[in-house]
Order: sequence, then C-alpha cells, then structure tokens
Amino acid sequence: MSDTKTIESEIKEIIAQIMEVEPEKITPSAKFVEDLGMDSMMALEIVAAIEKKYKITIPEEYLMKLATLGDVVAIAQQFIGKS
Amino acid sequence: MKDKIVITGIGVLSSIGIGKDAFWQALEEGKSGVKPVTLFDTSKLKVKMGAEISDFNPGAILGEKGLRNLDRATKLLLCTGKLALDDARLEIDDINSNAIGISIGTTVGSLWSISEFDKSALRDGPHFVNPAEFPNTVINSPPSQLAIRLKSKGPCATISSGFTSSLDAIKYGIDLIRNRRAQIVLAGGVEEFCEQTYLGFYKVNFLAGVKGPELSCPFDQRRNGVILGEGSAILVLESEESAKKRGVDIYSHILGFGTHFYPYAINKYEPQGKGLKKAMKFALEDAGASAEDIDYISCAANSMQDADAIETASIKEVFGKKAEEISVTATKSMLGETFSAAGVLAAAATVGAINKDFLPPTINYAQKDPVCDLDCVAVKSRAARINKAVVNAFGPSGSNSCILIGK
Repeated sequence: MSDTKTIESEIKEIIAQIMEVEPEKITPSAKFVEDLGMDSMMALEIVAAIEKKYKITIPEEYLMKLATLGDVVAIAQQFIGKS
Repeated sequence: MKDKIVITGIGVLSSIGIGKDAFWQALEEGKSGVKPVTLFDTSKLKVKMGAEISDFNPGAILGEKGLRNLDRATKLLLCTGKLALDDARLEIDDINSNAIGISIGTTVGSLWSISEFDKSALRDGPHFVNPAEFPNTVINSPPSQLAIRLKSKGPCATISSGFTSSLDAIKYGIDLIRNRRAQIVLAGGVEEFCEQTYLGFYKVNFLAGVKGPELSCPFDQRRNGVILGEGSAILVLESEESAKKRGVDIYSHILGFGTHFYPYAINKYEPQGKGLKKAMKFALEDAGASAEDIDYISCAANSMQDADAIETASIKEVFGKKAEEISVTATKSMLGETFSAAGVLAAAATVGAINKDFLPPTINYAQKDPVCDLDCVAVKSRAARINKAVVNAFGPSGSNSCILIGK
C-alpha cells in the first residue's frame, strides 16, 4: 500500500503531464479550473490515468468534487483502500 | 464566368524535405526519401524499406504545448498548415475566420490510433482506455484538429477516396470558393507511416522487395511494387481576385479538374485505364485546353507492374502524337507511395517545377520497359519551361482524378 506522500507525488506528476504545467504549480489547494486552466477533456484524462495506475474505479458522481490536488488524493486514497 | 482559382501558399512535409523550398530543391536534386524503416520492427518481414519523414520534429514548428495526445498524421497536418499559412502570408483572426475553409484528403490516417486504442482496451481492460486518445480514432480528426488549432470557422471537410483523396480535396476546395462558401481554402492531404498500413500493403502484395529489388523504380522493367511512404501537403487556394486584393504572390493557377470512378475490382487495376483516360479528358475539357497545350505530366506511376503500363498507355491514347514530346515524372520514385497524400504532393512538386523551370526526375530508372516508353526524365532533372501541366492520381479500386495546373 502506498503512503499519502507517495500517492500525492505520483498524482501530481500525472496531472502536471496531462496539463502540461510545472509540477510545482500544482499545490494541494490550487484550483484546477480557475488557477491552472483545466478543461473537461483534461479532467476525464486525469481520472482515467489515475484509475489505470491504481487499478481503481472512481464513480462518476465524484468527478465534480475533484477541484484540487488535495481532493484528488483524498478520493483516490479512499478507493485505493477499497481495492 | 467561373472564378479563376490560384495557389498562393504551399506547405509540405515530405521524406525528402520539410517546407516548400527544401522540397523543391530535393526534387531538382533527385533526392530519395527511401531508407530502412525505423518507426517499427520489420525483422519478421521480407521487406525493410519505407519513405519516412525521419527528421520530423513537430515541436520546432508548432511549439511544444498541446501536441501530447495528437497522433502522427495530425501533427504532420498541423505543421503543414502552419507552413502553408506562413507561406501565403495569411493570418486567421476574428474578422476573416468565417471565410477560411479546410479540405483534406486522408484515408488510413487514423489506422494507427484505432489500433492502439483497441490494443489498450484488450491489454488493460476496456475501463482503462484513455478518453483523450479516442478523438484520434476518427478519420476526420486531422482536418478537425487543424481547424481547432487555426480557429478557422469556414467549412471543414475530410475526403476519403483512397489514392485520389487529396486531388479530390483540392476540387472540393475549389467548389467551396466558387460557391461562395469560403474565400480561402487550405486544401491538401496527409498520410502517416505506420506499421498497420505497412502490413496491410505487404499482405495484399503491393510492396516492392518480395518479387524483385526493394526499389521504387517507376517505368523501369524491374518494378515489382511500391515503397510505402508518408507525407502531407497543403495548397492555399483562393480566387485570383482575392489574391490580388490581399496583395500576395500567385504561384500557379488551377485550370481544370477531371474525375471518373470506374468500378472494376478491389485491389486490382482496371487494365484499360478507362477511368484514368476519362479523368484526363475531363480535366482538359474543364480547362478549355487541348493535348497540344500540355508540356509536362506528373504521373501517379508508383512502380507497380500494371499501374505504370496502364498510365503510359492512357497518356498515349489521350495525348496522341503529342505524348512523344511531353516529359513525364513519377515523383513516387523519390517519395514512395504516399496514398491519399500523393496527389497533392505531386501538385506541390509541379508548382515547384513551373516556378523554378525544371522537370523533376524519375530516379532509380535504369532498365527500359517497352510498355513504359514515355520520356520519364530519367535519373536527373532537366531545365525546362512549363506553361501547363497535368497531375494524375489513380488507384486500383476505381478512383481516377486529374488536375491541370498552369503558370
């Protein structure tokens, strides 16, 4: 089982790669849409990449709740724990 | 009175040169784009060669951002579009964007992406496919991505008619202008080099190197199949009036177009060239030209036994005695068979020949074949003035198109 720090760092790398921004800009509280310019296709791709990496399924109702890195890490961990 | 259609910009990405000037120079030098395949493993095949664009660096032309999920065909086309717009001194803005259209020929441009998407579903499970890769799997992806990138809001068309796609896309672009649906159209074609297409051509016995030398040698007695290639070219088309208003240089006029689909058999050339002869006659008629007016023909000859002989016989019938004086070139001797992109690459080459006063050569020509006895500008280019030229495209499944280009 990965610890929170490792998961945060892995997810940050996935998001940085997909959004083509420097990883340092993705702070736990930076808002994806307002601060970092995420569009809907990037959001879908990020969820798909995280699902693939950890072999988890994040239900659709959670998509709207993924506004920051902190949200993504918390939700991912919740499902990683279940798998 | 129909609008006169002119070419005011050219973008080219080919295995012999990137950008129109490098492309034209390579044609004049008779450079070959054929080399051992590097994009995938050919060790289990009897053939090893292809005409890849080996120095392709899309980031250098487009900037690094926004390219990550695009496939090779789309990146080739986006680069070509950028080069074409720059060459035409055309900037797309809020005022003119509704008047800029796109018309692109491509047929197997998405094959690699479809295959990779399916492989991912099979390997990782259907739940884990990447949604951002799905848009690449549709055939209209490259032209649509081009429109999105350029923010052009005029018509955006994809023409998939196999070997004649890019000439047919040029014709569609001409019609958009003449029907006042666009003022300027970026017309052309693209095909990427990929394992799936290579295997397909290999399995239908179209590739050179199985029954003879692995060489693209159109009109030569040793010819035994095509060397597959890739490429992309875009011509910026507009009316003569529009070009004058914009104050831009005109490279050439498109004087006529002809097409004829002759249904025969899948993957088999119709031996009489009935469709090709009609396409050439229609193009001459459309231009109000006669055989006597034509100085040069850019052939579709691709080093297939039957295709080159059929094209030779068709030219001799349509042009009669004049065929003895007309020089012809098979640019596929240098570029390989680029399928949907071949017509517009030949057209871009012909515009170079007209503007730079040379006849591009048919390289690798060494052994004469009595059924391919036209003057094919063997091996080395020659200086010549061309006033009117014909560009052919045709394929084994029935499509035949021809355009007439003039000074």
